[in-house]
Amino acid sequence: MFSRRKALLAAVRKGALDMLPLSLAVLPWGILFGSLAIQRGFSGLEAQLFSAIIFGGAVQIVTVELMAENTPLLTVLFSALVISSRHFLYGLSLREQLRSKPLRWRLGLGFLLTDELFSLSGDRRAYRNKYRLFYAVGAGGSFYLAWNAWTALGIIAGAWLPDMTDLGLDFAIAATFIALVIPDIKSLPILVCVLVSTILSVIFSIYAMELGLVAAALMGMTAGFSVQKLRQV
Amino acid sequence: MTLVTIGLLALITFTTRYLFLEGKLPLRLGPNVKQLLSFSAPAVLTAIFAPILFVHDQQLDLSYTNEYIWGGLAAIMAAYKTHSVYWTIGVGTGAFLLGGNFL
Repeated sequence: MFSRRKALLAAVRKGALDMLPLSLAVLPWGILFGSLAIQRGFSGLEAQLFSAIIFGGAVQIVTVELMAENTPLLTVLFSALVISSRHFLYGLSLREQLRSKPLRWRLGLGFLLTDELFSLSGDRRAYRNKYRLFYAVGAGGSFYLAWNAWTALGIIAGAWLPDMTDLGLDFAIAATFIALVIPDIKSLPILVCVLVSTILSVIFSIYAMELGLVAAALMGMTAGFSVQKLRQV
Repeated sequence: MTLVTIGLLALITFTTRYLFLEGKLPLRLGPNVKQLLSFSAPAVLTAIFAPILFVHDQQLDLSYTNEYIWGGLAAIMAAYKTHSVYWTIGVGTGAFLLGGNFL
């Protein structure tokens, strides 16, 4: 019994350790969000609440800007839905592993299911057994704590910091995702998927297409899938 | 009102994350759909980072003064060689900052 508990704790620790580089990489973004919210007139409590219950990156920064400009509520909510819609793909991808798990696991891991946690969920055995579930809690939970700590730092420093939205902090996000994607390109279908997704996401972004991110990803997936099918024939 | 809006936003992000984890949702995924979904991680993460590198102010920026491209190339090489998140971010950010200062 005791050793089992120890093993579960070790799984939590392993998850937190694997997540650590990603938790550190969002430090500038957390600070940016916290200070931005203060500079746009939100209280410290409200700013922290964004990170505590919404727990998103881009969606928090965009909605804080929109709310500060007194954008109509429905527009704010719709923007949030558009930005968050990529998560539908994550839920679908993990559905087979998680659908039969107890409700508290699904609710908890669903809440923690960020880009970062999903990127650590690629293993075939992910979420299959109790240790894998605890691993995910360690990864997702530590990322949650980090994001909220970085937000708090931004809130505290908020008044003294300059407007950071133009400082090029988004490069840290790009570098993180490059680190997650490149080592995974192990076959021609995945390479095709990544290339198609690159070209289309850039084009859609130039034309500021709503849902451009999800559309580009879906077409990249389809391209990779097609190449895989063709090679099986 | 602000608190209500934050609550509604939380509800939206949570719903997008949780919806398909709900077992009662009448939905069965066939083998083809599963195979398609196996590409979702590289596809989505790429669609997030590619525009950060190449698009600024809604314009395609392929000039050699675009430090995001130099940083991105360095990060891609570091990721390919080391498979380490730390090295990728370190080398990429180094090249990005050098490019920003000297180009």
